[in-house]
Amino acid sequence: MLLIHCPYCEEARPEVEFVYGGEAHIARPLDPSTYSDGEWEEFLYIRSNPRGRHHERWRHTHGCGRFFNAVRDTVTDVFETTYKAGEARK
Amino acid sequence: MSGFRLADGGRIDRRTKRTFSFDGKAQWGYAGDSLASALLAQGQMLFGRSFKYHRPRGILGAGVEEPNALVTVDRGPGRMTPNLRAPSVPVHDGLTATSQNRFPSLKTDLIAVNNVFSAFFPAGFYNKTFMWPRAAWEKVYEPIIRRLAGLGDSPTTRDPDHYDATYAHCETLIVGAGPAGIAAALDAAAGGGRVFLIDEQEEIGGGALSDPAQWAWLAEATAKLAAMDNVTVLSRTTAIGHYHQNFVVAAERLTDHLPVGEAHGPREKLWRIRAGEVVLAMGAIERPLVFEGNDVPGVMLASAARTFALRYGVAVGRKIVVMAVHDSGWRDALALQAAGVPITAIVDLRRDIDPALADAARDARIACYPGYAITSVSGSLAVKGATIALAGVGKGQKLDCDAVLMAGGWTPTVHLWSHAKGSLRWDESWGAFLPDKTHENLRCVGACAGAWDFGSGLSVGLLPAPKPLHESKAFVDFQNDVKARDIGLAVQEGFRSIEHIKRYTTNGMATDQGKTSNLNGLQIASDVLSRPVTEIGLTTFRPPYTPQSFGAMLGHHKEALFQPLRKSGIDDWAQAHGAVYENVAQWRRARFFPQGSEDMDAAVARECRMVRSSVGVFDASTLGKIEVVGPDAAEFLNRMYTNPWKSLEPGRCRYGLLLGEHGFIIDDGVSARLAPDRFHLTTTTGGAARVLGMMEDYLQTEWSDLDVWLTSTTEQWAVIAVQGPRARDVIAPLVEGIDLSPEAFPHMAVREGTICGVETRLFRVSFTGELGFEVNVPAEHGRKVWEAIWAEGEKHGAAAYGTETMHVLRAEKGFIIVGQDTDGTVTPDDAGLGWAVGKKKPDFVGKRSLARPDIVAPGRKQLVGLLTDDAQDVLEEGAQIVADPNQPVPMTMIGHVTSSYYSTTLGRSIAMALVAGGRDRMGETLYIPMPGKTISAKVLAPMFYDAEGSRLNG
Amino acid sequence: MVDIAEIAVSAAELKLGTEPVQGSGVRLSHADARARYSLRARDAAVLEKAISRKLPGKIGDQTDGVICLGPDEWYAILPESTALQRGEGLPVSVVDVSSRALGFVLEGPGALAVLSSGCPLDLARMGVGRATRTVFETVEIVIWREAEDRWHIEVWRSFATWLWHALAAAMHASK
Repeated sequence: MLLIHCPYCEEARPEVEFVYGGEAHIARPLDPSTYSDGEWEEFLYIRSNPRGRHHERWRHTHGCGRFFNAVRDTVTDVFETTYKAGEARK
Repeated sequence: MSGFRLADGGRIDRRTKRTFSFDGKAQWGYAGDSLASALLAQGQMLFGRSFKYHRPRGILGAGVEEPNALVTVDRGPGRMTPNLRAPSVPVHDGLTATSQNRFPSLKTDLIAVNNVFSAFFPAGFYNKTFMWPRAAWEKVYEPIIRRLAGLGDSPTTRDPDHYDATYAHCETLIVGAGPAGIAAALDAAAGGGRVFLIDEQEEIGGGALSDPAQWAWLAEATAKLAAMDNVTVLSRTTAIGHYHQNFVVAAERLTDHLPVGEAHGPREKLWRIRAGEVVLAMGAIERPLVFEGNDVPGVMLASAARTFALRYGVAVGRKIVVMAVHDSGWRDALALQAAGVPITAIVDLRRDIDPALADAARDARIACYPGYAITSVSGSLAVKGATIALAGVGKGQKLDCDAVLMAGGWTPTVHLWSHAKGSLRWDESWGAFLPDKTHENLRCVGACAGAWDFGSGLSVGLLPAPKPLHESKAFVDFQNDVKARDIGLAVQEGFRSIEHIKRYTTNGMATDQGKTSNLNGLQIASDVLSRPVTEIGLTTFRPPYTPQSFGAMLGHHKEALFQPLRKSGIDDWAQAHGAVYENVAQWRRARFFPQGSEDMDAAVARECRMVRSSVGVFDASTLGKIEVVGPDAAEFLNRMYTNPWKSLEPGRCRYGLLLGEHGFIIDDGVSARLAPDRFHLTTTTGGAARVLGMMEDYLQTEWSDLDVWLTSTTEQWAVIAVQGPRARDVIAPLVEGIDLSPEAFPHMAVREGTICGVETRLFRVSFTGELGFEVNVPAEHGRKVWEAIWAEGEKHGAAAYGTETMHVLRAEKGFIIVGQDTDGTVTPDDAGLGWAVGKKKPDFVGKRSLARPDIVAPGRKQLVGLLTDDAQDVLEEGAQIVADPNQPVPMTMIGHVTSSYYSTTLGRSIAMALVAGGRDRMGETLYIPMPGKTISAKVLAPMFYDAEGSRLNG
Repeated sequence: MVDIAEIAVSAAELKLGTEPVQGSGVRLSHADARARYSLRARDAAVLEKAISRKLPGKIGDQTDGVICLGPDEWYAILPESTALQRGEGLPVSVVDVSSRALGFVLEGPGALAVLSSGCPLDLARMGVGRATRTVFETVEIVIWREAEDRWHIEVWRSFATWLWHALAAAMHASK
């Protein structure tokens, strides 16, 4: 079970309090109607799935309830950092 | 009969006898004995039959590395544990153990005929021989193989024991309480932090338990640890796995070492330990040597013989030959000889032996054969002698012996290190993999770190022998019956990676996890391939380190506590009124209320009739509810749902349809605006948490500028649906402060007031097509209000109805159930809910997807109604639909039935279905092929009753 | 073979205890009735004004029964029938959830070990007066360390029966 540092609670908490939220920094366009079918497909379904550094979302559902972002190594599962939603990509 | 009890020595209590049985025969040992040591002391050398060939097998090791002597311990009904390792089973009075995988008895195993034909059972044999015909595999080969091959039998009765579990936290966790682990614990404890020291054996001490010179130190250290408040010492506790960030799971065996009558409380306890630092002090396991006959009972590890002698006071033979390639074999031989265990000869493949060892052996009158190897062992059920030859190929020379000890060097126990994704490096001097790098706060000490002096030696795969490899019967993996030649065969057939060789040969698999076989297998593969070991790699160790009971994994959470069963506050009433239940998500809901001898069909028919003709009462408390509050509440809902919300007046309700961004329906529900800045949302029962999570996601990450907040109120409100022409009459006497007249309180309106003196949010809504109300009251008052409504209802002949009737009534009206009539690929238009999509809204979740090419393409599956030509045929939900029943098989399936019921109201069956281009097929006859017959049905709009909606007004 | 339905039936037989459960050095009982509110606001000052109460400022802090659960979320466990203003029209959310949860009290020197049987937090490191949302195995709870050996546990109503018996089972095992 991972220990995840919640940037809102400012402490490491057990994984069972969290829910994984998929890749981070995929913003919903302000006006989706301006997206071509290709762009919309990209937004909906295409993910980077890297080996190594992965920017991803977690939600501290059973804690403070907040969504936040994390950089996790997909090989070692080690978290490099976590940061609040809305902060620039790290 | 070669083993015997030494006159003195060992940590056993010779004043306390223990009686037990093995294979039905009365046996005895001393307190402190293991099953293996007690039986060896009685001269028992034969302990089991091998997995594939049913070869006679004895004891190999003195601990959990034992691959052969697997036993089943029976502690009464439901308390039978297979595959326990005899050296790890402490004896107690009344212990009942049996050997495994033999028929009918250990000594006479009829299935050992496999052994005679073993040339026909090479690696990959199953895969190659039983490839086809397929039916024969299922009916003939597999059942036979399952009977022949295998370990113990699985228990078939319910486990009556209970199990404890806990989380624990410490600054330092030490796994393994040998000298290195104890030293690490004392060191860590001095720092004041919380320290856990765990060990799988009956008492702590590890290797020191087999070294009387260390016993005084051990006693002192044990007492010191016990006296420290910040130290928790757990023996009989196996660390079964290391998981992320130093989360170590360990199972403590609490009662299995006790006689059945003295075993009280939980049987095992699962420790889920989070540690700041983990120190692995798991020691090392001696490596067997691979030579012809190395699996004859009486051939065992030298270290095991030493443990049996010095810890248990048992000699494993009267004329013992040691086969060594490592100094530790000589040391053990000398220690054994000194303890009164007769060692007659030491054979060592090395020509140059440490003179100190050679001199000591000569002084101890042990014959030494440097440069020799054992080329065969004679005997079937026990060792009768061994043949040795210079360099394995010279002239054979017979040695008289009744036991052979193997000293093949040492393999550090790095299982948990590997679980933690720690890397390993090959160490030439050990001829083994040692811990290298890790990203955890984890370190190894003692033998498992390579920091232990066992002396030096060779690492060899197969001992040199006169027979070529492909004729050899030298075993590598005793538990899985893998021979050196199987590994040779795998390489010959093209397998190169050790991971592939492992799976082809089964070397290192199953409960054993390669504890004694991995490195020998690797070395042999390396020799055959003429490539260094490091290029072949090592297979992955996976938890559990030793087999683990399911009971401990569950902890307290078995049977009634397996998972929460959620019940509404009205559930008790339903139970008292004979409800039959169904589970919906974690909730249990009343499905129907049979009266007398009614079956479900009869009960549902009666319940439906009552709702349509008078009134029914339904517990809808499980509906998901979310309170949406804040100045931007309407704006938020407008963005989430397909339909417009800003224009909804306070006091009014609206049906909301929720899509995913992919454009498919994921939830629906009726919601009410209570005030300009306050909405009461409802969701499906199963979707409550999911919808709340999705809405939170948008609110927090996409539209964080909106001033609106979501609160789950599912459990705040009990919901009582009162449906039917008499609904208003039923609630009218109970409601205060709300004008119930149709003019003042129209369909799809909400009012706040009191009912039975309790605050209520009263909805006028209908999922039945009848005049209906949904009474929301604080959950703690649900039962009381339900009973008051029921009492009023009875005056009108009311029926309490369950989810089955609710389904029938809604289907008669063509209302969908998300997840039943939709499957995650259904758009609003597919479901005939295009009307619920706000055409003028610039955006909402999922809107863009509704313009995707495949969503607007013709021919999509659309929701339609079906009426079978035979009104009494009730279609199977999920049944496939075809346009032409006479087409050749495989037919083109154009859709499937999503909902199907017998409608008492209509006196016939009704169904809903998703059918390709369904709305263009109105009036067409479609076909539903079923076993034995094909049912024909006509397509119509999914609305079977009161299309004009007149009944909503009562 | 164990029939799944049989397990469901036995789970169905569980009833929420009414009388306290006494273990060795630990006691489980119902907390007295409370008013409960979920409080939300971007700006705590606006909410404080709306409900005329001080709010704790940091996640995990608690003041007079009001717990800060998240950056914009507070949970109030107040004496029964305490009514808070709704703050209509203001950028706040005040929702009465008095009926949503039940409160348990777990107290005594053994309380921490019983709670640790299913709660993965390092409870020994949680200060007196602190509170947090967390889980007990799969069930969400709010825990509030009211005193060194006294824990108040909030659990949603429909999970309460399971939690009561799960805690009682842990108490039984620790005897």
